[in-house]
Amino acid sequence: MTSVIALARFRVAGYVASHRALQPLIGLLALLAILYATAVPAGQEIAATADSAAMLVPVLAWAARGLLDTEPDEQRSVALSALGPRELVSGLLAAFSSLLVLTAVAEAALLARLAASPTLTVLLAGVWLHLLSAAAGLTLGALTSRPILPSPAVSTIALILGYLSMLVISLAGGRWLTVPVMGWMRDAHHGVLLTGLPLLTVQSVLWPAIGLAAYTWLRRTRP
Amino acid sequence: MRIASLSFRYGRRAPWVLRDAGLVLDPGDVVEVTGPNGTGKSTLLRLVAGLLRPVRGSVEDRPRVVGYAPERFPADQPFTVASYLRHMAAVRRVSTDAIGRWSERLGMDHLLGQRLPDLSKGSAHKVGLAQALLAEPGLLVLDEPFAGLDAATRAELPTIIEEVGARGGIVMVSDHQGDLRAFPGLRRCEVRDRAVRELEPVEETGESALTVLEVAVTASRAADLAERLRAEGCTVHVTGRITARAAGEAAG
Repeated sequence: MTSVIALARFRVAGYVASHRALQPLIGLLALLAILYATAVPAGQEIAATADSAAMLVPVLAWAARGLLDTEPDEQRSVALSALGPRELVSGLLAAFSSLLVLTAVAEAALLARLAASPTLTVLLAGVWLHLLSAAAGLTLGALTSRPILPSPAVSTIALILGYLSMLVISLAGGRWLTVPVMGWMRDAHHGVLLTGLPLLTVQSVLWPAIGLAAYTWLRRTRP
Repeated sequence: MRIASLSFRYGRRAPWVLRDAGLVLDPGDVVEVTGPNGTGKSTLLRLVAGLLRPVRGSVEDRPRVVGYAPERFPADQPFTVASYLRHMAAVRRVSTDAIGRWSERLGMDHLLGQRLPDLSKGSAHKVGLAQALLAEPGLLVLDEPFAGLDAATRAELPTIIEEVGARGGIVMVSDHQGDLRAFPGLRRCEVRDRAVRELEPVEETGESALTVLEVAVTASRAADLAERLRAEGCTVHVTGRITARAAGEAAG
């Protein structure tokens, strides 16, 4: 496991030093500036946190893809020779850790713009929703990364369409058919998010689990 | 280590690169892979190293620690040589002392502070070799390791390969320039027509066993013939153009 973490550290260091990390960070800051142009009124804390988690998904997917694609292909071969299939785990770990930083920035911005202090339950639910958002972003980013989709144009279109399909399908009520990002927002605005969170979690984790399994399977023949 | 009925192609509609290739490699074997350009030498090396998955067949009993040096080291990375090798040492879980040792042997101590993108091709190649050697690999796969190296490192590399073999490691090398021809006990394989064929080992030779054969060939075929003769184990020097008449007079 130490080798996996060491490789993840190497990849995060390369991602940060290459300045590719700045692109999604700037995108995130722009999104936060729009979301929190005005303060979040008291009583709207859980709704605001759900909106944030849902809207972050494409930014997080962009960041995950950026991290996985920073490394040259031959360097990935070198990593594969050192770690074997665990190279893949290391990539996902590095990408997820970078997403945690971005979600922490988003959470901090949200908390800074709340008019009233949230309860601990609302705070924890917000953190949980952002973790679900990071899982969805990681999956979308991994499935559109260069080993899977070598063309940058195709990859970008797939990433955008992937997120749009999440919005459209979950808007149509298909909670089991995609990550129900619209369901997060709807439940939060209707005040039923906390009671339905266990089921919503299962629905939100299902497709990332399937997506990451597909990524693992595809990478067997796409080093 | 056993390569059994190995077949590979890069896509379902792509042509086969290798079909039913087989090879048995014993501990201590040093194998030179030859063959014309584009016939699948690098693909074979990547399959052996475990970087590609065979479409059919298998590579069995691959040693646990694999060192792989690609033909072109990916120098477009935002690290200095030292920090890159430190990261690779951590990934390999070896002491950073190994960095100093290999830097010295490969004549790259002075490069440690340089950034990877600033390196010359030969210097970058040395970094690729160093990372492959860091962890004392049981299988060392080197794709054109002599390309671009300075004379001192070209002379040192066979010694390093010999040491890996002496401690039971398997070394597989693709080599166009024939720098390993004089290597004692060298096994030679040729990749051609989607097959891997084991060639006769180069005989232990004194200088008297060598002979110089002058061949005149149409200029357009010279490169192809030279490549084939090199694949056969000959040292080839293309000297220049003469007319057919002059060639006939020379033969007469």
